[in-house]
Amino acid sequence: MAEIPIQRHLLDNGLRVVLSRDPRAPLVAVNLWYDVGSKHEKPGKTGFAHLFEHMMFQGSANVEKGQHFSLVQAAGGTLNASTWLDRTNYFETLPGHELELALWLEADRMASLLPAMTQEKLDNQRDVVKNERRWSVDNQPYGSWDERMQALVYPQTHPYHHSTIGSMEDLSAASLDDVAEFFATYYAPNNAVLTVAGDFETDAAMAMVERHFGPIPANAALPPPPDMTVEPRLGLEVRETVPDQVPLPRIYLAHRTPPFGTDAFDALDVAADILGSGRASRLYASLVREQRVAQDASVFAFPIVGGASMFALWVTARPGVAPEKLEAATLAELDRLASDGPTDADLERVRNLHAAHVAGGLERISERADRLSMYTCLFDQPERINSEIERWEAVDAGRVAAALGESVRADNRVALTFVPAEAAP
Amino acid sequence: MIARPVAGAPRPYRFPDFARHRLANGLGVWLVPLPDRELVSIHLLTDAGAAAEDEARAGIAALTAQLLVTGTRRLDAADFAETTERLGIDVGSESSWDSARAGFTALGSKLEEGLALLAEMIRTPRLDPKEFDRLKAERLNDILQARADPGRLADESFLREVFADGIPYGRPSAGTPETVEPLSVDDASAFHATHYAPDVADVVIAGAIDPDAALAAVERHLGDWEGTGPGHRTIEPLRRGGRRVVLVDRPSSVQSELRVGHVGIDRADARYFPALVMAALLGGVFGSRLNLRLREELGYTYGARCAFDPRRAAGPFTASAAVQTEVTVDAIRELLGQLERIREAAPGEAELAEVRDFLVGVFPLRFESTGGIAGAIEPVAVYDLPADWWHTYRDSLEAVGTAEVHAVARELVRPEDALVLLTGDAGKLRAELEGADLGPVEVISAG
Repeated sequence: MAEIPIQRHLLDNGLRVVLSRDPRAPLVAVNLWYDVGSKHEKPGKTGFAHLFEHMMFQGSANVEKGQHFSLVQAAGGTLNASTWLDRTNYFETLPGHELELALWLEADRMASLLPAMTQEKLDNQRDVVKNERRWSVDNQPYGSWDERMQALVYPQTHPYHHSTIGSMEDLSAASLDDVAEFFATYYAPNNAVLTVAGDFETDAAMAMVERHFGPIPANAALPPPPDMTVEPRLGLEVRETVPDQVPLPRIYLAHRTPPFGTDAFDALDVAADILGSGRASRLYASLVREQRVAQDASVFAFPIVGGASMFALWVTARPGVAPEKLEAATLAELDRLASDGPTDADLERVRNLHAAHVAGGLERISERADRLSMYTCLFDQPERINSEIERWEAVDAGRVAAALGESVRADNRVALTFVPAEAAP
Repeated sequence: MIARPVAGAPRPYRFPDFARHRLANGLGVWLVPLPDRELVSIHLLTDAGAAAEDEARAGIAALTAQLLVTGTRRLDAADFAETTERLGIDVGSESSWDSARAGFTALGSKLEEGLALLAEMIRTPRLDPKEFDRLKAERLNDILQARADPGRLADESFLREVFADGIPYGRPSAGTPETVEPLSVDDASAFHATHYAPDVADVVIAGAIDPDAALAAVERHLGDWEGTGPGHRTIEPLRRGGRRVVLVDRPSSVQSELRVGHVGIDRADARYFPALVMAALLGGVFGSRLNLRLREELGYTYGARCAFDPRRAAGPFTASAAVQTEVTVDAIRELLGQLERIREAAPGEAELAEVRDFLVGVFPLRFESTGGIAGAIEPVAVYDLPADWWHTYRDSLEAVGTAEVHAVARELVRPEDALVLLTGDAGKLRAELEGADLGPVEVISAG
């Protein structure tokens, strides 16, 4: 694959800037990662990092409520933001000649959000976020799975123990003081990465970045990162049965694993694809196509960096198939891969699918910018974007088997079984 | 503080030029060379969507499309998956109302091998009875899952209630339990034999290709494909008239999924562009009227939107939102109020300009990927749109003024005739809905 160009700059206020020029289409992507996510939330404040992200669209000193969206869209751009365990990202993709608009909007809210904050706006966005929670979790079949899984995989005191969406109770308690404190603490240039990718002239783009972000003061008192230390394994198997409004039972299995960025994580990422990506994957072939005990199967390793990550999967039972039987069939496939390791054909298959998938993602400048921000924010290594495929291809059969043997085992497993409520005891 | 920066000079963008060929057997071939790409997307479109199937066998188009990826005469299901995926090719095959589509995106170097496998799959599918029975069972299970999901339940219930009885568009394009249950592999075999034919099919190839070589490859693998297809039926999208409220009971729901609307327009409607702009202004962008009112002012929902779904015949126009149970009735009033308002007066120039500028300006962003470009050719092929459709697209949008938006709103938005469908907790909602003067209320079970 063609190498993605990378230029790094560091502003005096600590803002890390990554430029990646690609003039093929007249488009530019602006992407900011703030090194703050739900893992930074204090007890009683779950969901706040995400609620705060919503407040970032409610205006700033020179931008009216809603204007961030309307200016970018009227310029022919798209935009959004998202919050997860480790980080919060904000991004715009727009015609290249409107680059400065996006930089100005992002800088204005980084520099001067608080003058625009009001109780009315907070109450409005609190209601919106509560409806987001109802829509994605509370009113959704199987919707509480990740919240439950995190709570069981990580101990009560660990920052990954609670979900990013947070609890209704904590959302209700959020105040304007919390907004001010969170902003002052985390929304500073020395806690952020700015990536610009696409069609721009380098000198002009850097001058714009300096003009808009250069005057924003650093936070000299950035708090130390939260303590993410956790035992590498659970040390036991945890089981929970969840009656829910679902027609078919579904089993979620999760394991504590080495974090994103480690060699073991790469091996587990490869294992996830061998088990769950494509019609020739182990779980699809065995459980869905041959044994016909499952309706679907999905496997994934969470790209999170704090202390321990998760290797998780779900399988949905066909009608009439007991969850115990489905779980046994699933575990047999995990054990087989762990003990025998993958075949050369397995590795060739997932490597080629992965290469096509990465190339497909990186066709879009927004995805390129997001990954550059990610690798810079999490590892201070934007160039990892150019070694993704190489790192993957370096994973051999022995590493896959070893990583599964270390982490994907009964004494390190959470088994969450959703069952139809009417069938529950 | 620095004020809003002035934009630089825009760089022009032109939708990629493409060539259209027709092979002797009638197969359409659309080639979009994109020399600066690494990937290639191949889509094979056939007039074998749900509009081509017998109503008594509703769902056979979808099942046949899915069955195609479960092997060929030469390769069984496992071998076909293994062979394609080892090339890094993840083949998809699915159907909609107006076409069936099989295809993939892969590295450009895989064009020849991928095209060969795609042709083999379309021309000599294995049609394995065991695989058919599995896919059928999975479809029936998916129907169970859809009934438990409030959003999907609302979508499917809305279609069933908005079209008159017996109109195909009233059911899911993949069929109902009653029509899917009796289907057998013989039905798939017959559907394939009848409807998969070169004269009702098109191949679209976009990406890292040499057009001459790509055309020769298509000729090699599909040039001797024989047969003629009958195409599709004509669907008359009759609607049920009159405002009414249908509540699909889903006990202990904490939100109501609202679907409000009626029959909309077909793909050939001369009002296509004004309708597109009007729907965007009403509910197609973040700053649209529905989203600003229901989300950013009232906080009733995570998002409110509306859209037309134009097909060969008129598909639905639907406004939708998931709102917390306690505010359901007021949210319905607000939503209907916005449908009234867009009819009452033309939008302001500034409001229209913002939406139109978005639709015009975002144009190149839709075509960043080879898959996006191949996908853009699809409606041109399937609906016989003018060959310069995408090259004149932005001019067509620019021509929409406030008077056109107002006129099309008056013709195409009919709140007095709208079905108000919602899934929610009838125990909490029934009495309030019945007392709300929104129209006759019918409560049905989620079944």
